[in-house]
Formats: sequence, C-alpha cells, structure tokens
Amino acid sequence: MTKPEDGLPPFVSSWRQLYILVITVLVLLIALFYWFTVTFE
Amino acid sequence: MNWLDWIVLLLTLVIIVGYGIYQSKRDTTISSYLLADRSLPWYHITLSVMATQASAITFLSAPGQAYTDGMRFVQFYFGLPLAMVVLCITFVPKFHNFNLVTAYEFLEKRFDLRTRGLTSFLFLLQRALSTGLSIYAPALILSSILGWDILHTNILSGSAVLLYTVIGGARALSHTHLLQMGIVTLGMVAAGYMVVKMLPPQVSFTDALHVAGKMGKTNVIDFTFDLSNRYNVWSGLIGGFFLQLSYFGTDQSQVGRYLTGSTIGQSRLGLAMNGLLKIPMQFLILLVGALVFAFYQFETPPLHFDRLPVQKIQGTEFSGAYQALEEKHEQLQLAKRAEVIRLNEVLNLQDKAGIDASRQVLSAAEKELQQLRREAGDLLTKATGTATNDVNYIFLRFITDYLPAGLVGLLIAVILLACMGSVASAYQSLASTTIVDFYKRIFAKDKPEQHYVVASRWATLCWGIFCMTVAQYASRFGSMIEAVNVLGSLFYGVILGIFLVAFYFRKIGARAVFLGAVIGEIFVVISYIRDLTAFLWLNLIGCVLVIAFAWIIESMWPQAPKQLTDGE
Repeated sequence: MTKPEDGLPPFVSSWRQLYILVITVLVLLIALFYWFTVTFE
Repeated sequence: MNWLDWIVLLLTLVIIVGYGIYQSKRDTTISSYLLADRSLPWYHITLSVMATQASAITFLSAPGQAYTDGMRFVQFYFGLPLAMVVLCITFVPKFHNFNLVTAYEFLEKRFDLRTRGLTSFLFLLQRALSTGLSIYAPALILSSILGWDILHTNILSGSAVLLYTVIGGARALSHTHLLQMGIVTLGMVAAGYMVVKMLPPQVSFTDALHVAGKMGKTNVIDFTFDLSNRYNVWSGLIGGFFLQLSYFGTDQSQVGRYLTGSTIGQSRLGLAMNGLLKIPMQFLILLVGALVFAFYQFETPPLHFDRLPVQKIQGTEFSGAYQALEEKHEQLQLAKRAEVIRLNEVLNLQDKAGIDASRQVLSAAEKELQQLRREAGDLLTKATGTATNDVNYIFLRFITDYLPAGLVGLLIAVILLACMGSVASAYQSLASTTIVDFYKRIFAKDKPEQHYVVASRWATLCWGIFCMTVAQYASRFGSMIEAVNVLGSLFYGVILGIFLVAFYFRKIGARAVFLGAVIGEIFVVISYIRDLTAFLWLNLIGCVLVIAFAWIIESMWPQAPKQLTDGE
C-alpha cells in the first residue's frame, strides 16, 4: 500500500490536485443525481 | 429470528469484540492509549472516520426516511467534501504540528484556559446526549426482536462496545472499524440485491425506480433556495459545509481518529478519501429505502411498522377503531397496487399521457395512505399513552418479515456493528476530553503517564454508563437521525466559530472570543426554540455570530492576542 509522506499524495502530482479532484467529483455527483431525479420523477 | 440468524449475529459480534481485544497492546502513555501512538495509515483513517460517522441510526433511519420522505436527505452531505478540503489545508497541519491529543488543547495555546474549558464543556454536553441517541437506535431493534424491555437492550447495546474500548483504546477502535465497515458494506449490498430480487418478475430494477420516482421518492436534487426547506442543494452545500466542518474539525470523536495518522499526509489522504466516498455510500443506503418503498407497492405493508404499540392496542377500547383503519388501509393498498401495475405497463409503452394520469391517481392514493398512517399513529399514541413514530422501524420490519434466514442475522449484526463503531469513538472522545482538558490540565497535573491511562479507562467506563442512561430517555425524538443532527447544529456552529477565529483572526483575543461564543450560543438556542429557520442553518448562524461578536467586542475592548510559538 502506498504510504505518502507530507510531500505528495498517490495518483496525483500535488495536494492541490487532490483537492480539485474531490471538488470535481462532488460536482459530477450533483449532476448525476440531477439526472437521476429528472429521469425517474 | 431463527437459530441460523442467532448464530450469524452472535458469531459476528464475538469476532468483532474478540478482534478488538486481540489488537490491543499494553498502553503505557496517554498518546498510545488515545491515539494509537500516531502510527496508522490513511486507509485506517478513512474507514475509521466513516465508521464513526455512520452510526446504527444511519442504517435504520435513512432507509425509513427515503420510504416516507424520499431520497432528498443525501443533499445534507454535499458540504462534506468541501469541509474535507478545508480540514486538510488548515486543521490537520495545525493539530499535528502542535502534537495535540484533543482539539481543545489548541484553544488554550491560542486563547486561554477559559475558552478551552467552555468549548470542551459544550462538546461533552452535545456528544454525551448524541451518543445516548446512538445507543438507543439498536436497542430498539433488540427490544422489538427479543420482546425485552428497552432498559435491558440499552444496557446490552451500550456495554458490548465498552469492553474493547476500555481495554484496547484507539488501536482496538481503528482495527475494529476496518472490520465493521467491511461487514456493513457486505450486508447493505446483500439487502439491496435481495429487495430487487423480490420484486415481481415483470418489474425490473429501473421499473422499481420509476414507480418510486413517480411517487416522489427519487427526489435527490432540489435546487430551490428556501430557508425553511431542510434539504436542498444550498442548505446541504452551505449549512452542511459548516456542520461537517464543525463535526470533523472540532468534534473530538472525529479529531481523535485522524490524529492517529502517522504523518500529516496520511491524515490528509484519509480525510480526502472520506470526501470521495461518503456521498455515494449515503446515496446507496437511501436507494435501498426507495427500493423498499417500491417493493411495498406490490406487497401490502403494515399500517404501522412498529409491532409493539400495535400489540398493545389489542383489547383496548381503541382496538375496533384501529381495525377499521387497517381494513381501509388494505382496500386502499389493493386499489393502489392495481394502479401501480397499470403505471408499469404505460411506462413500458412510454405512454406519456397514461403515465401522467397514473401518477395523479397514485399521488392522491399516497396522500390518503399517509393520512391513514397519521390517524393510526394518533390512535396508537392515545392507546399506549406515549408518542409513536415508526420511521425507524420501516427497514427493520422489512428485514425481519421478508429476508431469508442468515441474512436477517447479518443485517441485525450490521446495525449493531454500526452502533459499536460510532459509540466506541464517542466513548473515547468523551474520556480523552475529560482527562486531557479537565483532569490532567486542572486537577492532577504532574502524575505519571500510566496514571492518566488508568484514569482514561475509568473515564471511558463512566461515560459509557452515563450515555446508556441518556439512551433510556431518548425514545421520543421522531426520526433519530434528524434528532442527532439537530442536537449537533445547536452547538457545532458556535464551536466552529471559536476555531475559525483561532485560525484566521489573529488579532482577536481570548476575552472577545469567549464573550462572542456565549452570546452566539444564546442566539442559536433562541433561534431554535422560536423555530426561526431550518436547523442546518443554525451551524452557519452560530459560526457567523461568534466571529461577528468577537470582532465587535475586540474592536470596542481590545486585548493583546496571545502569540503562538509552536506549530505555526
């Protein structure tokens, strides 16, 4: 298992990129849930 | 429950408790006992913070909430990923660099002992009450299944976890959290699979979602901005952000989990992964509830899901009236079922006019059924003399009535394990705050480390007994998942405000923040009592009020702020 020290997280090249990834996934989930709501309501 | 369920249930519980004790080591320092020597990797932290947040209430109430109110509750968690990012950037490095055991130690370094004491006290108050509710949830299950008095089941569900928490400390907690989350995920996936499998042959998974959706149960997203609406995107993103930031940043039950990380990077990564996983997990739990709702469109559900008050009403003067309601309920369900089958047909034909017509009929029928359920609840309340709310029993009743032997035991174990995960962290956080922020700081300053380890064990035991006592009085809160969140919202905003002043307003001193916090808390309590806004906004209001009042007081009555010397 990768054990990152304070320098870099795994899979991405900086902590900033990891935070952007977390926020991007949130936006994608909201879009996906909106599609879900509209499709089945 | 049959013998197979009992074997699965008991085996699961014995494995968890035994594994927790097996992972225990001889702790000689308070850091070892309360923080596992700060040695754990990120995946321990991710699963530990998730297990701490996902109590039994999550698995009992959330599917019931989806059944009655739809899936919109998931929006409550939209602020969580944003809060994780802020925590990773600000809170985690500060807490790690100062080598803290509790979050409240930081407040004395930044302000004074009085502010640390006030914040620790507010935490102990709300966490002890919330933990009482968390114990009460699985105690309900055992009470319903075994027919035992709630007092005995409260003691059973609250004390099983005490064993390995007292003996093993943070290390035992973290290892059992890993195992618990694995079993919980397995159980919920199995429940979701079974409910889809039990639908009538002509009804597919997407058909079931259409049926639930046409009756308003797939209402995941609502972009309407409405302060009085509990769950919409904005209350989730803004109010939820402040609640989650307060919870993860200032609640010792969570801070204690990520301070076990071996480095700042491990703690950060653990929290970031929680930000990625929490919303999908909550969505899937609510989806199970919506599918249970779809399932009950083809099977007649009970008029009231809690068996005990229904048994109690038999033979009373109200039993005739209740029976009449049940007959009417049965007839309405039959008529509704015919309409649901018709809806399924027009859905397959993509007949839009037919779908709209069917939806209107079903909507009217659903309203009538809800009214009948309310009347039944009122009648049961009159007959039993106590308020009844069956939201928390919906998923449980489905499990015990329809799932096969073995799986019932596994799902009951899932609910108990979830309880154990959150309650264990709560017990330990109550003990660590009591010992580190009060006992060690004020009453017994220069004792050997082993003395504080023993004191922490005693504190864990005492808080366990106190929380079980609270659980005994926690039976009339409606949906418990909401009750816990309402309780948190009363205090978290103010606590967060204190921490944000500490981090970002360096010119504000101890006196201003203390008075600001006291005034802010009074305003929050008044806002709640007078029902001025939906509870999620109380987090934002409390936080903003503390910052605003502290800033005003500091401007009018300045005081030289304390200089931080370490961990900057």
